Amino acid sequence: MRNVRKDLERILLQVQKPSRYTGGELGSIVKDPEKVDVRFAFCFPDVYEVGMSHLGMKILYALTNARENYWCERVFAPDQDMEQLMRERGIPLYGLESLDTIGAFDFIGFTLQYEMSFTAVLNMLDLAGLEVRSKDRHNLWPVVVAGGPCACNPEPIADFIDLFILGEGEEVNLELMDLYLVCKKEGCSKQEFLRRAARIEGIYVPSLYEVRYHPDGTIAGVTPQEGAPAVVHKRIIRELDKVFYPENFVVPFTQAVHDRAMVEVLRGCIRGCRFCQAGFIYRPFREKQADTINRNAHTLCDNTGYDEVSLTSLSTSDYSKLEPLLNEMLTWTEPDAVNIALPSLRVDNFSKELIDRVAAVRKSSLTFAPEAGTQRMRDVINKNVTEEEVLRTCRTAFEGGFTNVKLYFMLGLPTETDEDVEGIIHLAQKVVDLFYHLPDKPKGKGVSVNVSVACFVPKPFTPFEFEPQDTMENLRRKQKILLETVRSRKINVKYHDSPTSFLEAVLARGDRRLCPMVEYAWRSGSKLDGWNDYFRMERWEDAAEVCGIDLAFYANRTRSYEEIMPWDHLDYGVSKAFLIRENEWAHQDATTPHCRDHCAGCGANRLLGGACFG
Amino acid sequence: MAELFQTTVRVFWKKEGRIKYISHLDINRCMARALKRSKLPVWHTLGFNPHIYTTFALPLALGYESECESVDFRLTEQVPMQEVVDRLNAVFPEGMTAYHAAPAVQKPEAICWADYQIIQEFDQVPAEQAAQAFFNWCARPELPVLKKTKKGERTVDVKPHFSVQEMKAQDHVLHLSVRAAAGASLNINPTLVLDTFAAETGIAADWQRVVRTAILDGAFHDFR
Repeated sequence: MRNVRKDLERILLQVQKPSRYTGGELGSIVKDPEKVDVRFAFCFPDVYEVGMSHLGMKILYALTNARENYWCERVFAPDQDMEQLMRERGIPLYGLESLDTIGAFDFIGFTLQYEMSFTAVLNMLDLAGLEVRSKDRHNLWPVVVAGGPCACNPEPIADFIDLFILGEGEEVNLELMDLYLVCKKEGCSKQEFLRRAARIEGIYVPSLYEVRYHPDGTIAGVTPQEGAPAVVHKRIIRELDKVFYPENFVVPFTQAVHDRAMVEVLRGCIRGCRFCQAGFIYRPFREKQADTINRNAHTLCDNTGYDEVSLTSLSTSDYSKLEPLLNEMLTWTEPDAVNIALPSLRVDNFSKELIDRVAAVRKSSLTFAPEAGTQRMRDVINKNVTEEEVLRTCRTAFEGGFTNVKLYFMLGLPTETDEDVEGIIHLAQKVVDLFYHLPDKPKGKGVSVNVSVACFVPKPFTPFEFEPQDTMENLRRKQKILLETVRSRKINVKYHDSPTSFLEAVLARGDRRLCPMVEYAWRSGSKLDGWNDYFRMERWEDAAEVCGIDLAFYANRTRSYEEIMPWDHLDYGVSKAFLIRENEWAHQDATTPHCRDHCAGCGANRLLGGACFG
Repeated sequence: MAELFQTTVRVFWKKEGRIKYISHLDINRCMARALKRSKLPVWHTLGFNPHIYTTFALPLALGYESECESVDFRLTEQVPMQEVVDRLNAVFPEGMTAYHAAPAVQKPEAICWADYQIIQEFDQVPAEQAAQAFFNWCARPELPVLKKTKKGERTVDVKPHFSVQEMKAQDHVLHLSVRAAAGASLNINPTLVLDTFAAETGIAADWQRVVRTAILDGAFHDFR
């Protein structure tokens, strides 16, 4: 292990934003290396400002460090200028707390938040001075692990990661580190450790599974080896209210994307929007008590000095005690000049009272996600939101003094027609018209409706996992229709790049035959693919050709209900029978009510050992 | 307003170690958060976006350390000055240390000079050689230096605004004590001069450390 403090002195003033690379932030935890048994490098495969916005990392960082003899440090992907200097000067990747190089740590853990970060994972392993392929790393440590939403189909990077952690990490991470410590003391081989780890619920060791294929390229079967379980079940925290929550955050000097205190309100989602992976893989729905959330928020603001706290979840307005919670919080947020942010609101339960509370300290813009422009399309995706609700919410917002509304949509949804595409702009136009017809609209200001359109990517563990993605040609055609339909200067349309979405579709539902392609793309220069400046589709096209991969096979093919998916041996709670049922309903334009209204029998309640509600 | 001005506190603090890589803008935000954590009765601006109002008399360049930074803010209640120091030190991040607090006496416009200690390491040339070259370079009747500002580039003769107080060379290390013009009207960063020297002569340090050691008014007294 080597300390890079002196080496950094010679390069930091040559890079953009050196504060990304120095550590020493308030709240960062420094321990005596002599007194710790396990050192964990928590790696976020993107730049500092992105990684430092991530709540999961903050929770697991504090949780691990709460154990006296374990030390968790943060590591982010260096930007291009820093990486170049590090490679030139032979400075390996290091932890921000100790400034020690991570190549000899006990664990290197990645959080996989989006598919486009896969090459950054490889690049970080390489910068740490390690072989990228699991089979080429023979020592017990560092154990390279990964978790996060993309671990629900980790097959495209199965060759690089020693084991995946499925589901929520608060319990299983510590169990895994405890086992490691025993194995290290016993002098176990890496193989022996992995065999034992595979017996922990929630741990998936890909090298212990053999995958066979049909001649047509689809999967024929997956066979566990050496006693590994046939199906790996994800982990959840049953009693969310009692789960560990950090009392302090590392407060970055430089501005992170989300630079504020965050408290978790609930996990899971009752809605069942059929395109939304998060809405299914984080089930079952569990809420924290209002008291607990209020206490978490107050403690965090006191300890960090943040002047904004966000109530974080997939759908915060679905929290059953939101109004009492906000009332309780306002008793201290107003005197302390702390702003409450509600990032995920729904249009169907957004009240005047809510808006007053959000606007009580500071006024920001409002974002809603109707996701589709026509009612038929919204029924197909089970968004369960009507046009009247969208307009009523915008009216409430305008009457509350907001003049800026952001609307999120998706393009290329299953069964979408050109009429559905035009419907997006028609809906935005209705919002503009609504504003100008309001008698008590905010004075002296114009309205601005920002329409943000993403390309639909079918994801594992959703009812749309069987669906083909629209071809890039068709998506581009639809983007043109969007722009041609706009008639008002008050509407701004922004859309995502279609090649990125296409590649995302390939990786999201890929199998382990994609590993050589991912490695090839990385070796030819892909490393921060989430950033348009650095992304080059040609690199991936070359990689696919060299590795004999047909990208359309993964992105644009309809999969039958009978097909074995690359992730079918992983269990995230929702059953495949449920996903098939939901897919059939989608094709009949039929909706499913939300969980509080009626249980749709998704199967996730098995993880709770009882019903989700009541 | 007169009353409010009287309760303006000036806290003097040090910026040492890796926190030198934190820019002035980021230090600003960091200071506001530290004040929030300290729970000192700090005055917030009025209006729709209430926030803590701080003033830094003389911003420090990125990469510099300092023994004499200052920050001003207003208190809404009387607090013993030592308590202000203690409460800030309890919540400051690594590398920031408050050492004195007092009601602000002078306005930032009073600042005219600043002193710096500079250490340069040369991997290739002996420090003695660099010292001799720098001495000769400074001895010229004029010292034109290209200064980049927001308004564009201009050449300044820094001869009257920059002086080497002490110079000591040992092996590959050069120690310099420098006094340079400081303040809102004309601020000369010593590295600007050293970089110009390096560009013109090819004698560039491979590593350097700059510490601001004093901020002075027109009479060469410490800024209060």
